Amino acid sequence: MIVKAEDRKLALTHEILMSIDKPSRYTGGEPNSVMKDPDKTKVRFVMCFPDVYEIGMSHLGIQILYGMFNSWEDVWCERVYSPWTDLDKIMRDRKIPLFSLESQRPVKDADFLGITIQYEMCYTNILQILDLADIPFYSKDRTDADPIVIGGGPCIYNTEPIADFFDIFYIGEGEVRYRELLDLYEECREAGIGREEFLKRAVAIEGIYVPSLYDVTYDENMRFVSMEPKYDFVPARIKKQLVKDMNEAFYPTAPVVPFIRATQDRAVIEVQRGCIRNCRFCQAGQIYKPVRERSVDYLLDHAKAILKNTGYEELSLSSLSTSDYTGLKRLLEELIDYCSQKKINISLPSLRIDAFSLDVMNKVQDIKKSSVTFAPEAGSQRMRNVINKGLTKEDILNGAEMAFRGGWNKVKLYFMLGLPFEEHEDAEAIAVLCNDIAKVYFDTVPKEERKGSVQITASSSFFVPKPFTAFQWAPMNKPEEFLEKAKITKAAVRAQLNQKRISYHYHDCGTTIIEGVLARGDRRLSASIEYVYRHGAIFDAWTETFSYENWIKAFEETGVDYEDYIFRTRPDDEEFPWDFIDSGVRKEFLLREWKNASMAKKSSNCREQCMGCGCTGFGCGVCVE
Amino acid sequence: MIIRFKFSRRGPVRYLGHLDMMRYFQKVVMKAGVSARYSEGFHPHQLMSFAYPLGVGMETDGDYMDLEMEDGNDPETVMDELNAVMNEGVKISAAVALKDNAENAMAAVSAATYELIIDCGAPEEGRKVIKAAVSEMLASDTIMAETKKSSKNIRPGIFALDIEPEENVNDQIKISMFLSSGSKLNVRPADLFDTLLTMPSVAGSGLSFRLSLLRRLEIFGLTEDGRNVPLDHADVL
Ligand code: SF4
Ligand code: SF4
Repeated sequence: MIVKAEDRKLALTHEILMSIDKPSRYTGGEPNSVMKDPDKTKVRFVMCFPDVYEIGMSHLGIQILYGMFNSWEDVWCERVYSPWTDLDKIMRDRKIPLFSLESQRPVKDADFLGITIQYEMCYTNILQILDLADIPFYSKDRTDADPIVIGGGPCIYNTEPIADFFDIFYIGEGEVRYRELLDLYEECREAGIGREEFLKRAVAIEGIYVPSLYDVTYDENMRFVSMEPKYDFVPARIKKQLVKDMNEAFYPTAPVVPFIRATQDRAVIEVQRGCIRNCRFCQAGQIYKPVRERSVDYLLDHAKAILKNTGYEELSLSSLSTSDYTGLKRLLEELIDYCSQKKINISLPSLRIDAFSLDVMNKVQDIKKSSVTFAPEAGSQRMRNVINKGLTKEDILNGAEMAFRGGWNKVKLYFMLGLPFEEHEDAEAIAVLCNDIAKVYFDTVPKEERKGSVQITASSSFFVPKPFTAFQWAPMNKPEEFLEKAKITKAAVRAQLNQKRISYHYHDCGTTIIEGVLARGDRRLSASIEYVYRHGAIFDAWTETFSYENWIKAFEETGVDYEDYIFRTRPDDEEFPWDFIDSGVRKEFLLREWKNASMAKKSSNCREQCMGCGCTGFGCGVCVE
Repeated sequence: MIIRFKFSRRGPVRYLGHLDMMRYFQKVVMKAGVSARYSEGFHPHQLMSFAYPLGVGMETDGDYMDLEMEDGNDPETVMDELNAVMNEGVKISAAVALKDNAENAMAAVSAATYELIIDCGAPEEGRKVIKAAVSEMLASDTIMAETKKSSKNIRPGIFALDIEPEENVNDQIKISMFLSSGSKLNVRPADLFDTLLTMPSVAGSGLSFRLSLLRRLEIFGLTEDGRNVPLDHADVL
């Protein structure tokens, strides 16, 4: 029998729900959430985003998989998010097992627990989920009474620090292989085959990585040497799975609509996947290669259907670099037309500032309130060449001038500090660039036309080298170097003529260091993650709950020399724990880019000229255009 | 034209706060594609208002939402269209067009009725205790309700307070109340419950009581001749 959302018995009592913040984080039943008859489905798949509801619900990937799984008759996909610290405590005190939102039943009874891993700082939350669900942390300790714990998402491009906690990682885009995996699961269950054998059989499916089936060796310095399959039927390399034709792939037209305001509280259409731009610091740019577009018609049809099925009053376009979408002009024209009739707002992604984008912004935003955004990422041209960011100072100043003429007077700029080969003058250059923009304003807009004055907001984050980028060999700055650079930038801002018009902020560096360790670490880190979790770490992505000291202590106590992962330049021939993943992008290509970076030599983007990164083998997207 | 909708909400959706409830209805209006009117400006929004914010955790059988719509809409048709796109435990049960000079819903509120279900480890004994507390409450002229900010006499605002006879409710303890609401004297049911627990017979019983369900049954407005009638009654439109 299908229980209606409104008739469900909740896992938490009225008393508990009334004592916690935002109880509807935990009660499910949102528009478009799916209820099924457990007796008529074969697989119960609980999908988890290990952060608080409002963040998890904003994630497109889960909505895609949730919709796809539930479109299959034999599968019931449900959701679970991290209980916030208030409920976490109550659940521990009263031994309330973690439950899924739809059925409100324990997660432990599910067939699969799928965890999407979007950032390193959620690793302790993964343990919280397992802990509250009463599932053993380590794959090796689980039995047939536990769900299969499967991980996916961008962080699986270095799974190793959390490898021991997972039974399976799915490498690549979820749309492709899940059907095969679930079919195999159903087959095994019908034949009475248990988890151990199922996991062994699963590796025959492309993209499926079962960490327990490999042996890892380290040298005398405890540095990673190699990872070898334990059996000959286990593949030595795992191939990233990707959608070849974005117009054929599943895309949800009735996503779940949160009752409470989520971080992304709007309808989303994903215009393309991947990016042509090859910025050397950027992991997303490499792991989602090659860029694959959706057709304008596909997007228009889906946008209309989603708006109709959700009632959202706002629509946004999602992709890594929407300005590069070839159908953007027609898409936006038609959407603006449609949405203005229906009183729907369009929230624009940050577009490259030019005549076209300013015209579009003018139509959909209130100029007085909105700002124009640039992401030069580095202050000097030399550094922008190092990171292969195509944006020049001229582009920025011209764009700003056009925007000022159009009536804007707020400019936002995003930078990074701590990039490889960065010098003090590069940190200062951030301030100079800001000042030059202010100067353009004063030169462009006559005094009598100035409404308010120009406001320039620059912020910088600290750079973390990531696997599968040209900077995977790069050393990270030490905390004191980061802070010194931020101080240099700050002082340089103060020294500018237009300093009153510029405000500069920089992000915290404690999180950056830990993120750096986890990003390029290896399997030995699972002990540290367990240690820090057992000593109270949770919600590390949140400043109010993050403790740097806790982490440093955990590395010490578990005998991990964390500095070795981040502060040294890795030799060209070093074997990395993530090399076994075949992402399509070849290591030789990344190494070549690393060398180009050291010479501050720019490379092209995929549309100007193919750089032969290795992705042509996929036979799709920009590589075959 | 403005249409007043009477709605209920039951089940898990009761844990929404007032603002989220409003956002929910805005989406329902969009989904149904009914011809609501919008404010001017860059980000037009629907012109929607509620009689009485619904607290987190409260169910209702009789709350009211006013929506400005293009002229010429038939209230019942709009109601059906809105109901067709809802299934989360919210349902519209009536719709009427307001007269041109009608007071807005919030200003019109004069009273509301509620029912309240109370949990107690020893229900049989507990019901006797609550029954006594209710009598004590009704017998006194002043009942001070303490809130964080103030303390006020709520007795004049208690129009009725009853405990449901045992045969109707099995093991539950259920009380119903008719309370003054709105700007003159606003008695909140949760405050009344808290105050009930301070009555001598409860305090002396050693039993503990917990609120397990609070449901609003109806919201009233005052007619010109001083009667409390439901907010969709012709005399208060
Ligand atoms: S433009 Fe550069 S930073 Fe942005 S997604 Fe593409 S590669 Fe990454
Ligand atoms: S093979 Fe060429 S076109 Fe394809 S992703 Fe790599 S660099 Fe771009």
